[in-house]
Amino acid sequence: MTKETILLDHGSGGKISHSMFSDMILPLFDNPELSRQDDGAILNIEGGTIAFSTDSYVVDPIFFPGGNIGDLAVHGTINDVSMCGAIPKYISVGLIIEEGLPMADLQTILETMAKAAKKAGVKIVTGDTKVVPRGKADKIFINTSGIGIIPPGVNLSGSNAKPGDKIIISGTIADHGITVLSSREGLKFDSDIRTDSAPLNTMAQSLVNGDCDLRVLRDPTRGGLGTTLNEIASQSDVGITIDELTLPVKSAVKGTCELLGFDPLYLANEGKLIAFVPEAKVQKALEIIKQDEFGKDAVIIGEVTQKHPGKVFLETAIGGTRLVDMLVGEQLPRIC
Amino acid sequence: MSLKYIEEYRDASLARGLVKKIRLVSKKQIRLMEVCGTHTTSIFRHGIRSVLPDNITLLSGPGCPVCVTAQKDIDAYVQFSRIKDTIVTTFGDLIKVPGSGSTLGKEKALGADVRIVYSIFDAVNIAKENRDKEVVFCGVGFETTIPTIAAGVLMAQSQNLTNFSVHTSNKLTPPALAALMEADGIEIDGFLLPGHVSVITGTDAYRGTFEKYDIPSVISGFEPIDILEAVLYLVQQNESGTPELVNAYKRAVSDQGNIKAKKIMNQVFEVCSTCWRGLGEIPQSGMKLKKKYHGFDAALKFDMDLPDVPEPKGCACGQILMGLKTPEQCGLYKKKCTPMTPIGPCMVSTEGSCAAFYKYS
Repeated sequence: MTKETILLDHGSGGKISHSMFSDMILPLFDNPELSRQDDGAILNIEGGTIAFSTDSYVVDPIFFPGGNIGDLAVHGTINDVSMCGAIPKYISVGLIIEEGLPMADLQTILETMAKAAKKAGVKIVTGDTKVVPRGKADKIFINTSGIGIIPPGVNLSGSNAKPGDKIIISGTIADHGITVLSSREGLKFDSDIRTDSAPLNTMAQSLVNGDCDLRVLRDPTRGGLGTTLNEIASQSDVGITIDELTLPVKSAVKGTCELLGFDPLYLANEGKLIAFVPEAKVQKALEIIKQDEFGKDAVIIGEVTQKHPGKVFLETAIGGTRLVDMLVGEQLPRIC
Repeated sequence: MSLKYIEEYRDASLARGLVKKIRLVSKKQIRLMEVCGTHTTSIFRHGIRSVLPDNITLLSGPGCPVCVTAQKDIDAYVQFSRIKDTIVTTFGDLIKVPGSGSTLGKEKALGADVRIVYSIFDAVNIAKENRDKEVVFCGVGFETTIPTIAAGVLMAQSQNLTNFSVHTSNKLTPPALAALMEADGIEIDGFLLPGHVSVITGTDAYRGTFEKYDIPSVISGFEPIDILEAVLYLVQQNESGTPELVNAYKRAVSDQGNIKAKKIMNQVFEVCSTCWRGLGEIPQSGMKLKKKYHGFDAALKFDMDLPDVPEPKGCACGQILMGLKTPEQCGLYKKKCTPMTPIGPCMVSTEGSCAAFYKYS
């Protein structure tokens, strides 16, 4: 047996997480549904097609500006199911609670979960609660799984991107990552940055039904936009070029990133999607996204290319180009 | 948190204008070294190499504090984290740096109490809140960081925190520049001098090195316009054969630097020789605690005296830090040495030249 131990990097969503998935997890559980490596599994059952996805939430702190671990857990799974082109219907909730959590905190978390589910039109239909001794978990961990129905004829996957496709992002990047970081103990900023945590099911279905020849939908969560684009470039074996001048980043987020040495391309989003569509349909898709309440700041950020397959390049504001590699491990604040 | 003066110094048309001018003026083959890791990252992040003409080569020097921290100091940090009832406090990017056996990150995963702090003052507060434990701060940095470490020590002293200590690996920039100029085989036609360090040291700190070696030297900020402007000055000086010491970062750097910061630094620390990872011992290039503050010296407190450790076999970081080799010329680069499995120091920190090469090109 190896002497290696799990490090926080294994959970970063970057290269080290991917290596663990492909070297350790995938060979053991190997099946065609898992091998697709999309946001959820796409399953054919009794003549219908469903999307099935799961995610666990361990965010610290559990309350942050604009949301908490509860609505984040509901939105996250709704969005993963929605990115498969599905209409999310049912969600399960697993709570792992540390002894000593104030009952009022749990009440607030459950209330926001109920509200988030209701707004998105999904039902929380099953669940489980465990309590562990103090110190064996950090306040509360939540797992949610979700099921959605994929309408006939819909086929979305990270492996569908084609040279010439245009890429749209539905709004500003890195809001959630910076919100959580700046809420952490020891790093408290006075700022008006809020999480972007939001349900994207309505926006996703409008695109699916909008005659846009939609090829790929993804929500760039953990690992950020840079990592998600790398995943798609690799899955589709195409190159991707994005334009720095078009990337939407709020000025407060940009400032905090500069101060801490973070790249917004690698920080988490919880209410944004990226859509790949053929050039001829890009304006139509952009209009659809902009009409959604969570897509007002949507822009075209780049395109799919034939050259440098598997790689993502950024055209910088000053006219240069550089590689956007996949995140390796956790981004850490710099020294100076 | 909105920061002023970012967009202004990233203006696309201004940048393109500077590039045009550089291309017009630049005729000679020249090798320019940026001494600061933040410059290295900024150069890659904004694609500056890709817009410069082929006759200008940018070299990344020994300016990433994590990269030049001696392996035995990293070993010491790991050892501190293994002492019972000890909290090790550190800046984030030191967590992954391999010593000769382990990293602080691995020790943390095995149960050591290793905490990332954003300033030494957080570490002092941790000591205040944990009087039954020892708190060690890993003090790694250049002139930008040394004054804050000194202030932290004074703060701990004023609060009678006998459970707080530091293990420093302080480095001074001007002696390193002089050592570089003295090394065999060095071909450097100009220095892009570090902006942050110069805020503390002031332009005057480089005068001795400049006068002795007569080499084009420009203090630069970190935005693309700053860097391109500094490159243009270095090109012009090379083309005209008139080396100058120029402060092109006047919005932050004065001739004398930050006098108060220097005073506090010299109150707590005194100059000493120190070992730079990859470069070896450089005389008068470090700062150690003065005798009066030995009560805050973690190595003395815990009687820690670790041996020098040889550099990993095949690692070319020393030559890369001196501009003698590029990362691609190292046999380990991208093969055994990657950001996931770093062997040499330049691959560890995001500001290391090998990590920047790997990430951005």
